[in-house]
Amino acid sequence: MTTWTDLPAMAKIEVVVDGDDVPAVRDLFLDAGATGYTAVTGLSGFGHGGHHHGRLLFNDRASLSMLITVVPIDRAEGLIAGIRRLLEGRSGVFFVSEVHVSRPDYFA
Amino acid sequence: MSPATAGEPTSTVFSASDRARLVADVSHAGSIAAPYWPLTAFVAVNPLGGLTDLPFGDATSAARGWFGARTHLPLEAYRAEHARGTVTDADLDRAILRHDPSLAGRGPLDIGTVSMDPVELVRWDLLHGPVAAPLPARRSGTVAGALDEIMTGWCAAFVDEAHTPWQMPSRDQGFYRSWLAAAGADRRLAAVIGRDARARIATLPDDPAELLALVLRTRGVSDDQRIAAVRTWILRTPGWAGFARWCDQWAPEDRAGVRLRVLDLAAVRAAMDHLAPEQLDLTGADLEVATESAEALLDRRIDAAVTAVGGDQRSAIADILGSIDADDRAAIWLAAHEWNYRDRLLARLAGPIGSSDGARPDAQLVFCIDVRSEGFRRHLEALGAYETYGFAGFFGVPVRWRPLGSPVAQARCPVLVSPRHEVAEVAVDDDAAYLSTCSATAGLHDAFYAAKGGIASPFALAESAGWFAGPVAAARTLLPPRTSLDTSGAAKRPWWKPFGGAPRTAPVVDEVVGADLHAGLSVEERTLFAEAIVTTIGLAEFAPVVVLCGHGSETVNNPHASSLDCGACGGAPGGASARIAVAILNDAEVRAGLVERGIVIPDSTWFVAAEHDTTADLVTVLDRDSLPVAVSARVDALQRDLDVAGERNALDRAERLPGSATRVRDRGRDWAQVRPEWGLAGNASFIIGPRSMTASHDLEGRSFLHSYVAERDPDGVALETIMTAPLVVAQWISSQYYFSTVEPEIFGAGDKMLHNPVGGIGVVVGQSGDLAVGLPMQSVMLGEQRGHDPLRLLAVVQAPLDRIEGIILRNSGLRQLVEGEWIHVVARETDDDVWSFRTPSGGWEPWHLADDSMAEHRTTLAHTDLSTPLSI
Repeated sequence: MTTWTDLPAMAKIEVVVDGDDVPAVRDLFLDAGATGYTAVTGLSGFGHGGHHHGRLLFNDRASLSMLITVVPIDRAEGLIAGIRRLLEGRSGVFFVSEVHVSRPDYFA
Repeated sequence: MSPATAGEPTSTVFSASDRARLVADVSHAGSIAAPYWPLTAFVAVNPLGGLTDLPFGDATSAARGWFGARTHLPLEAYRAEHARGTVTDADLDRAILRHDPSLAGRGPLDIGTVSMDPVELVRWDLLHGPVAAPLPARRSGTVAGALDEIMTGWCAAFVDEAHTPWQMPSRDQGFYRSWLAAAGADRRLAAVIGRDARARIATLPDDPAELLALVLRTRGVSDDQRIAAVRTWILRTPGWAGFARWCDQWAPEDRAGVRLRVLDLAAVRAAMDHLAPEQLDLTGADLEVATESAEALLDRRIDAAVTAVGGDQRSAIADILGSIDADDRAAIWLAAHEWNYRDRLLARLAGPIGSSDGARPDAQLVFCIDVRSEGFRRHLEALGAYETYGFAGFFGVPVRWRPLGSPVAQARCPVLVSPRHEVAEVAVDDDAAYLSTCSATAGLHDAFYAAKGGIASPFALAESAGWFAGPVAAARTLLPPRTSLDTSGAAKRPWWKPFGGAPRTAPVVDEVVGADLHAGLSVEERTLFAEAIVTTIGLAEFAPVVVLCGHGSETVNNPHASSLDCGACGGAPGGASARIAVAILNDAEVRAGLVERGIVIPDSTWFVAAEHDTTADLVTVLDRDSLPVAVSARVDALQRDLDVAGERNALDRAERLPGSATRVRDRGRDWAQVRPEWGLAGNASFIIGPRSMTASHDLEGRSFLHSYVAERDPDGVALETIMTAPLVVAQWISSQYYFSTVEPEIFGAGDKMLHNPVGGIGVVVGQSGDLAVGLPMQSVMLGEQRGHDPLRLLAVVQAPLDRIEGIILRNSGLRQLVEGEWIHVVARETDDDVWSFRTPSGGWEPWHLADDSMAEHRTTLAHTDLSTPLSI
């Protein structure tokens, strides 16, 4: 029986930034060879910067967004270095975790 | 031997991490360039938008270093305002004390037999002290200047879609690789670099990031210095840097055409610098216009003060003046100028407000918040039982609009919003013959203008079409067409579209089943948008006719034409947005849904679309043929008053425009006219509140007016929408006018007379050079006179202060603007409350007149003018 740990391991990188910074993160993803990403806009929650109330009616740029990508583990290091550098001058956080995927060729 | 050939490496070890860090640094570096939208959909932006994380004072200081630009008016200009009475001694004193509160605690200076207050001394210095003497301009190196010129040519060639006789190779590989493939054949480049240019270019890395890493390493630039180095390269051509920034940050992902990336732009300029015999200083931020030293100026200021006031207090005078440098003087003047406008406006708004008699109005008209609506609304209200409202001119429906027969859909909403829906215009009647004719004439139109805008093709065009174009040109010059009062209600169309056979059309707002997922809107979405329109405006009672009036501007021979259209519609005319919103609000299903949300629109109310041509001051009711008979009669009566209001507003505008007052409405059709209208020049405030606050006042076209009734927005959602979107966009507009006025050459587009279109996206001044960003000089100046007062935007809000405060605190971008003093905010909860001023450090202070002795003259002050900038 196949378990989830038998599936190929990859790195999932989730970046939460201001809407204005989404293009910069997107470019880093693509420049590092990511084959795709998912964007979740209008995040709400509470954190270092206080409350975030999610989507505004007529301003997609002012709320927080999360960009998620999955890359082979050997590509993750470079991408992480770039994101760390990018966030040195901007507000935002990112998370890296190991995930197991069913179709590794989608992400390579 | 040129410096770059002395055995230097032509490649470098470059790990994935190195590369990613460098790409991130380029992103940082590029953020200083304000995005530049193509002129087909002009969007006003703050030229210092990349610096709004800094307070205004720090950002302008940085801008002076990076751009070599002026960020305030010269002291002489502020002194002229003082002479005009638009800055008073009391304004200056208040600004001085706000700048340095410690001056209030200092004792007076004993000078001879009189004593002088320190504030008075500083005021004297501001009014009469010496100004910094400019030093001869530092000349940009000949080599650097020549390479900049070459660079702009390559940028134009890369982005040009149709006007160059040949296309650069490998454009799909990006600007750097495309340049690399072609640059070896560039004789101008070889003339600067040397005969071995081709061979040396061939040795450069193929990857732009690798090229940058190579050059940075060769030049010994450390990691913490490379953002400055990259900025130095891209700001050699700030206009093209702005366009690249737009491509990176704002361009629609499905946009046709090539993408000019900041990374590529930096790489090409770095490569040229790398190969050049003289190289740029990469330490950056040293372009501030050179003047005498701060010490020398201070000595002269002290000497002048000692001479003027006498006595023997040199050290005390030096102590006080030494705490205020040249930048502080400019900042104090600006603050005083702003306090003056604020006092006049608030004194006016503090007066008794108008009240409604409760009768149902004949019509309600919703205009765009644009400052040009204010005068028209005032004149219309005086003509009958009309209520007017202000709302962003896309009427809260962010969609892409596909006109009849067009293959292209264009966003009709503020650029802050990404439209998720597309609405198409379809024919109600048979449109086959019409579309066929359109297709043929549009092809002719496109071919003519492509040839006209090309590099070599105009010569052939003159030969082949001159027999036709020449006499037409002569006729248009000698007999410029006049604006006719054609109020037939036909939607405006380009001249190349046939008028006679145009079918009636309508927007398809219903969701199109089976078509593109985003075609049309579901009934739930339409109801949500309808609710947002009604609640944000604060509409509670409905007249029989409610007009949603967008605006546009019809001008000819004007590359900046879209700058006069509706900013809330993405730099397009607002008629389409009005038609879409009207279709939604007249929809029975939507009205039923609104009832469930507590909003009842009577069956007797009909929404009608219109468009205000701000150059001709004509309001045209759209889709007249589709109106119910009973509504049509009411609209006929309304149209007569709209025409009269237009005539009166045009007369007002004529006072500020040069030329014949009787031809003011024809200016848009005169192809020799460089100033068809003033646009938004003069804008200074953004007023959020009920119309009763402002209805009885002439605000001189200086105020954005957004309707808002706090009582109908208990949870503050509507106010948050207004303050995070229309107010932000207005701040961009305000900043663009501000910086285009104080620095027309760098932050403005220079002299319109010298503009030439380039690349299908913008203009250059003269035959070549950098993209000219911002507003043309003629949009903000009339000869040597200013047509705009450069002030930071004043937001005036009538709403509970804690509601406003909460919105400011939880929206970081808005908070930066307020606490960084990019905008000022004053507010009161109700008509009976005094105004309070939101301080940059948080909290609210009651507003009072700068000169308390003038308090008893408040009524008089309220009727003085609002410092209309032009004194012509």
